[in-house]
Amino acid sequence: MDTQDLSIAEMGRMLRAGSVTAETLARNALARIAALDGALHAFVLVTEERALADARRADDELKSGRDRGPLHGIPYALKDIYDTAGIRTTCHSRLRLNVVPKEDSVAAARLREAGGVLLGKLGTHEFALGGPSFDLPFPPPRNPWNPEHVTGGSSSGSGTSIAARMVRMAMGSDTGGSIRGPAAWCGTVGIKPTYGRVSRRGVFPLSWTLDHIGPLSRSVEDSAITLQVLAGHDRQDPASADVPVPDYRADLEKGVAGLRIGIPRAFFATAKATTTEVLAGIDRTAAQLRNAGALVEDIELPDYALFSIAGRVIMLAEAFAIHEADMQTRLLEYGEITAGRFILGAAVTAADLVHALRARRELTDAVNMALSHHDALLTLSALDTAPRFDQPTDTLSLASPIQTMPFNVTGHPAMSVPTGLGGNGLPIGVQIVGRHFDEPMVFRVGRAVEQLSGWESVTLPNG
Amino acid sequence: MVETLSSDALAAEFDCLMARAGITVPPQRRPSILAAYADLRGQIALLHGRYGPEAEPSNVFRAEPAGGR
Repeated sequence: MDTQDLSIAEMGRMLRAGSVTAETLARNALARIAALDGALHAFVLVTEERALADARRADDELKSGRDRGPLHGIPYALKDIYDTAGIRTTCHSRLRLNVVPKEDSVAAARLREAGGVLLGKLGTHEFALGGPSFDLPFPPPRNPWNPEHVTGGSSSGSGTSIAARMVRMAMGSDTGGSIRGPAAWCGTVGIKPTYGRVSRRGVFPLSWTLDHIGPLSRSVEDSAITLQVLAGHDRQDPASADVPVPDYRADLEKGVAGLRIGIPRAFFATAKATTTEVLAGIDRTAAQLRNAGALVEDIELPDYALFSIAGRVIMLAEAFAIHEADMQTRLLEYGEITAGRFILGAAVTAADLVHALRARRELTDAVNMALSHHDALLTLSALDTAPRFDQPTDTLSLASPIQTMPFNVTGHPAMSVPTGLGGNGLPIGVQIVGRHFDEPMVFRVGRAVEQLSGWESVTLPNG
Repeated sequence: MVETLSSDALAAEFDCLMARAGITVPPQRRPSILAAYADLRGQIALLHGRYGPEAEPSNVFRAEPAGGR
């Protein structure tokens, strides 16, 4: 049996039955990383010693009757912008090659307390924005479905590690789509929870009011289990919301009969980059949901371009504020793409930013209104499959085939779910959006899509 | 609406903003960043002139009484 294909819940059952040990799970995962990562570059650091120590402790605790819950003994990895006590946290940048935090980020601490087994730190676009780049201290992660293709970013190593079957769950961050983009292009599930649902403390910021953190995983259930551990109030994170945490698995198998689902079709139907097979993919998903009893209908939202520019102005202004001093004195130490993008933040005026914040209010109200008539929204995460590394692109352009920024601007929970493979063998998927703090509905619809699409029977790359 | 600038004026504006921010743009990178700046300004024009004075930004907040939670 290949333990790399066991779900988190299945691993948990076997650990408790004594039919597998956490050390075996960790060793199998480490062996797969050792076999594949020389070519795929998911990890910037493998913490083997720590992993085996964590795993042995997890085994000892289970034997002595201490059970920390569903992540007890489960291997996972962290994007290298999460502070980890005593473990280098570089943000994939030469500016931080020697930074070793003294404390864990809140998310890392919660995963550790839940008994998770940390395998290492994952590659990212530099400071969660600049990439994929070849002028950084570590190579860019590659797409396991075809290593000549990009993963999407910025949680690039997170997407690679799951699609390559190294781990079932890896943490990412999402400021404009950095969880959902790699999830879409690597064929994984990726959820950006509601703004304020998960503490961001100890995760290096890109843009405070757009940053969200959450998991990428092999399945919707894996993500629900992980969010259960992460969600909850943190008084020291000023954006953290003091809202009760529901049971994220309770509604997973309820299906979609009777639900109303809206499709903001103009978002993607009028975009030049949308391919016919991706368009056919979302129409197929809509038909499957209708056949399962949902009412699925097209809706109108404000122009996608307004969501996009409002988000980009806010992100550029906040990112520049964070990096201002280093941009003035150490600009050439950044990768060229990162520096070029951050520089644009210096060109955003006060009036630009205030107008973007006025747009944010309008756009959030519009999405809330749509969700007052619908239980969830269905749209695309990406307009096309992952491009090749050598495909000519304007790396500083605002145009992106990833359509995820709207829900960073509005703070609604949004999840990318794979639905199939394109003609080139690369994954395609859809994005599901819910009301603020209604992640249970996002998981419920996502689980239905996962089942109806047949994705669970798709064979992942075997390296 | 924001006035449309000539390419020379846009370049001068960009140089002025960089100088004000204390950023030294490497000369070989300036053309691509300037092109991205022109694209950005074109997109930002969507935001200007859209709202009347009653449209407040999203960060206007509501104060709660002490111990109000």
